[in-house]
Amino acid sequence: MRDLKHLIKFENLLLEANNALVRQAREEGKLALGYTCYFMPEVLLDLPGCFSVRLRAPRSTSPDMATYYMSSRTCLYGRCLLERALEGGFNFLDAQLATETCTVTCRFQEHLQMMNIIQNPKFFCEFIDVPFKKTPNSYEHYRRQLQAHVLDKLHEHYGVDVSDDAIRAAIAQHNEVCRLVTAIGEYRKLDRPTITGFEFQLIQLVTLCCPKYLIIDDLRETLEELKTREPDDRPGYRCKVVMAGSENDDPYFTKLVEDCGALVVADRHCYGSLPGREEIEIREGETPLAAVARHYLDTGMCPRFMEQDVMRSRKQYLADLVREYKADGVILEQMKFCEYWSYERVIDTLVLPRDYGIPVCSIEKEYVNGSSGQLRTRFQAFVESIEIKKIQGGVRG
Amino acid sequence: MKKLKAKLQALKKVDYKKAARDFWYGKPHEERRLGDLYEDKTGLYKHREWRGVKDTLYYFNNIWLYNYAHMVTDVVKGGDPVAFLKGTLRYRWMGQTYLTVMHWYDRGMEGMRGEALRATAWHYRAMTSETIRQFTRMFAADSKLHGGKKNALWYKTLAHDETVSGCIFYPWRDVIDDVPLQMVPYFVSVHVNSDTVLHYIDAVQSIGLPADPCPMCQAEAGIFVLDDYPDYSPLMVTTNEACDGSVATSILQDWFMNKPLFAMPQPMRFDDPLVQEHCQREIEECWRFIEKHTGIPFDWNQYVKYAERYNQLTAFEREKWDVAANSPYYPISGVAQALYRIYYSQDGDRQIWHDTDKKVRRIMEKCVREKIETFPKTRHRAIAWSCAPLYYSHWCTWAYNCWGINCVINMDSLMFDQDLRTDTYEHAIEDLAWFNEKAPMRAMAVGGHDHIFQLWDYMERFHCDMVVMYDQLQCKGMQGIHGMFEDEFRKRNIHAIWVPHALPDKRTVSRGEIRRIISDYMTTVMHEEPLDPSLVDFDDSMSW
Amino acid sequence: MMKKILRLAGKLAAIAAAVYGVLFAVFYFDLDGKFLYHVWIPFVNRRYEKLERKDVTKTPYGMTVEKAE
Repeated sequence: MRDLKHLIKFENLLLEANNALVRQAREEGKLALGYTCYFMPEVLLDLPGCFSVRLRAPRSTSPDMATYYMSSRTCLYGRCLLERALEGGFNFLDAQLATETCTVTCRFQEHLQMMNIIQNPKFFCEFIDVPFKKTPNSYEHYRRQLQAHVLDKLHEHYGVDVSDDAIRAAIAQHNEVCRLVTAIGEYRKLDRPTITGFEFQLIQLVTLCCPKYLIIDDLRETLEELKTREPDDRPGYRCKVVMAGSENDDPYFTKLVEDCGALVVADRHCYGSLPGREEIEIREGETPLAAVARHYLDTGMCPRFMEQDVMRSRKQYLADLVREYKADGVILEQMKFCEYWSYERVIDTLVLPRDYGIPVCSIEKEYVNGSSGQLRTRFQAFVESIEIKKIQGGVRG
Repeated sequence: MKKLKAKLQALKKVDYKKAARDFWYGKPHEERRLGDLYEDKTGLYKHREWRGVKDTLYYFNNIWLYNYAHMVTDVVKGGDPVAFLKGTLRYRWMGQTYLTVMHWYDRGMEGMRGEALRATAWHYRAMTSETIRQFTRMFAADSKLHGGKKNALWYKTLAHDETVSGCIFYPWRDVIDDVPLQMVPYFVSVHVNSDTVLHYIDAVQSIGLPADPCPMCQAEAGIFVLDDYPDYSPLMVTTNEACDGSVATSILQDWFMNKPLFAMPQPMRFDDPLVQEHCQREIEECWRFIEKHTGIPFDWNQYVKYAERYNQLTAFEREKWDVAANSPYYPISGVAQALYRIYYSQDGDRQIWHDTDKKVRRIMEKCVREKIETFPKTRHRAIAWSCAPLYYSHWCTWAYNCWGINCVINMDSLMFDQDLRTDTYEHAIEDLAWFNEKAPMRAMAVGGHDHIFQLWDYMERFHCDMVVMYDQLQCKGMQGIHGMFEDEFRKRNIHAIWVPHALPDKRTVSRGEIRRIISDYMTTVMHEEPLDPSLVDFDDSMSW
Repeated sequence: MMKKILRLAGKLAAIAAAVYGVLFAVFYFDLDGKFLYHVWIPFVNRRYEKLERKDVTKTPYGMTVEKAE
């Protein structure tokens, strides 16, 4: 397929957390607000004068210092983030808006509080408490937490305008990005998609890690390009898959999957777009903050949610995605040492094939996986099994 | 003939006065050689300890015989001995642990004498009694033991995670019994027979769970995988205490139980005043769920009755801490302190706790009044921090006997430190929310690093000169802050012994390895000689 | 009559003493532990291994759950 003009630029931006656009925004006087979790609404970190940076530690190798602090028995994502922070890679941050949602990222962020790592005298790290359910009690609780520990703190420390109008402006920008990314994502639903999973993930990640106002034009242009992009005559893939699971901010992992013949058509994982790029709607009688709180709880698909019907609906959601994106199967990836996804993966691996007839490839991965031979073998075998199933289904038909 | 002569020669050398003294009073600590009593590998005794006439007869009559007898009478009191028999033959966690419980006493009370022996034994008795009450109720209501039928008791019993505090159910205590689902099958069983829980861990891994999540959560899920859970209730209440793993376990438990389930999570950042109302509303929603599914309304008077009774237990616990912190007269061993506290506080108010506290109070007051040093060979006052190795909860008994390390308090004892006001509903729900937020493990391990660093204050408060730092290898929360503890121990010049373990899974770090680690520290760092050298190295690899 | 009662009491006392002695021997030589370890636990283990268990992974996973009737 014809190359998308901005993809190389996006790929280069993702090689550093403190990339060229982050530096530019800071030079323009904007505040860099870091976060790690979907439960920290990025829209509130994109208030006027601020930009959100979802933390990554690209090109990580061995996090030796972080392993001293956090032992080798915690997930590499959290450790690599700490390592990068200790190396000075996050010194550009003006604040870290933290959540106690998963243990290891929580501990990473506590180290930011305890150790004075970020070399910025005005830097602060503030936690919110996130509910485990999607009930009116939870919405109200979450709203209060966001008000007290995000908005009030930003205003107190940096004089950020946190008024309803400011939030509305942030929502407007956020929604535009969502529209663009969602529109781009629609091309993944085609019988012959005109964008690869790798390409899409680059786009999704830049919207999380770069100031949105500096990439929005590029996104518009990319969408325009896609309107006329033709698929290859002979597709480079042998089946289509939904990628589901835990934290995955490594586009080269997606590339590894696609190099094995499985086109990733949907990204139902942390740092993915499903959920993540739904527009925020402010309903009648709702304050903008209340709308934000409701939105992030309602759209969240994290295995952290404990209500019975919410737990159970996650399987249906995955099955619906498979149908919507015309996928042949699901790759369930779990970051090693992620407890939430350890359990969620067990049940998905058993229930999806049994109840929905959806083939599943269930794997454990590290934070950086590009050259994993073992994973390659697993994916290749999975692709072949899907092909065989299709052939057998065709013969029977 | 030669042999006979040699024997007669030997007899001539015996100090008969000392032998008589040792027979009457028991050998002095340094001469006991308790390690020589073990049979190799099994941990069984060649013979039980001779503690002197008085204490041996006390142990035999008032602990061994008494508890065996009560193990029968308590079952009969449960009302359905046939169900008990069926349950024993049906459930691994029952059959492998019920009769073997006296060995659990033995291990926990090795070397003990006098008032320490008595007070510790009462704690064990209380836990045994309550355990029997729980499983007799489970079995009496269990549809799996009644041909699939749901009897009247099934409808009047509530199942909940062991980490949901029993106090939530006080408003129904007089009409419905609440029984924690995993307390006996998991928590109690691993202390009594450390082999049992391994089947459950292996079972859940056999369906695809990786090996690294917290093994407590793995075992809890594994009980379901092996279909080894009793079905005694129409519903289930779960919680998020204390970690990601416990939340995630609900995913599997919900599937396998496949019945109405209410999740009642506590806030993580529980110091934040803003979270309290949210927590209170969650509790109220739980109550509404119970009302809806049982048809029995909330009863304020029942709540008041049990909350006020429970406050008495909290008040006495604080008195115990005072004695433990400020004197050498505390008669409760480290293992009894830890287990009894976590059991009763998690379970909620029961009559047995009050009966036990009465007896222990008499003993403790006697010790204080008569200045009886209950652990006279104490060289070091230790505080145990973080989650303990359940398969070796009696490590502190060994540590005292071998090295004079007296574990005077532990982290999990210090949670649930909250009175429950009953003057108004608002005060009651406020305190109940706080109470639940300060549950075991979560009180210290979540909600900010300052909680887990309360260690320094407690060290000072309990006058401890040593920390035994439990290092649960699969606890992400504690692993995630390991290095900061190392730094702080160095900075504060604290003697800290890291004790790695995998909670209920003895295969990762054996009991022998734990002993080696402690012994190595005591010889290479503390330069001390053991009080009882026979305990330094022995093989109990095949023990319960 | 008194003699008979006393003789009976004596016999009962002797039996009680013998039982007590046996129990003490069981206690002192850890015969209960040895029995449980070498006989009871292997017996119940064999039984548990043979028990037919439901395959819980066949439990349905719908949006509705069994409600108490």
